[in-house]
Amino acid sequence: MKRKIIRVGSSRGVLLPREVTRAMNWKFGSEAELTVDEEEKQIVLKTIKVDIPDDFNGEQLKGLEDILIRFDSVLGGIDD
Amino acid sequence: MTKDQKKQMKILCYVNWLLAEKYNGHQGLRDIDALKEVLELPGGGSLTCLTGDRLTNRKDLYSQLGWFVYYMLENEPFESKNISSVLLMLLWCLEHYKLKYKMDSLLDFIINLDPMRQGNTDISIWFSNNCK
Repeated sequence: MKRKIIRVGSSRGVLLPREVTRAMNWKFGSEAELTVDEEEKQIVLKTIKVDIPDDFNGEQLKGLEDILIRFDSVLGGIDD
Repeated sequence: MTKDQKKQMKILCYVNWLLAEKYNGHQGLRDIDALKEVLELPGGGSLTCLTGDRLTNRKDLYSQLGWFVYYMLENEPFESKNISSVLLMLLWCLEHYKLKYKMDSLLDFIINLDPMRQGNTDISIWFSNNCK
């Protein structure tokens, strides 16, 4: 997609469309990593990935997320 | 804290973060000492059921769940989503150890539990009677 470079104060910026921020799950204040490839004349903007600590069991984390999805209506209904 | 307790602390923090993120709760730990108390069982033990470790018998599991639920609800270590964190962690444990339970009864028990009137032993007994 094409975007125009716009003025943001004394800097230049690009506005991100809603579908992009939604797809990337970026909210106000989210941090992203910007890399510049001068040779190819391109920039890459990506989500900052955090390494999972070694003693985390990936299977357990996935299991917890699955339960969160399965019991969404129950867990989402608790006002705490 | 032991290595196991630190590992369990990370899991609980992850569970709470998941819930706060999904349901717009206040994120973060309110009181680290309150969380340590949840994880430090008498005699240097810890809540090994939270990481799915093999337990020698069912009684140990009920005992750990009673301790976990009581101190989480009594201490409220997180800024928000303490009850939800208890429930999500419990659901994972019950499924991991292949225990049968009724969701309505479990929810009703956790939501209406009053740590001033029910201690960890009472909670353990409830699990032994209702999750088999």
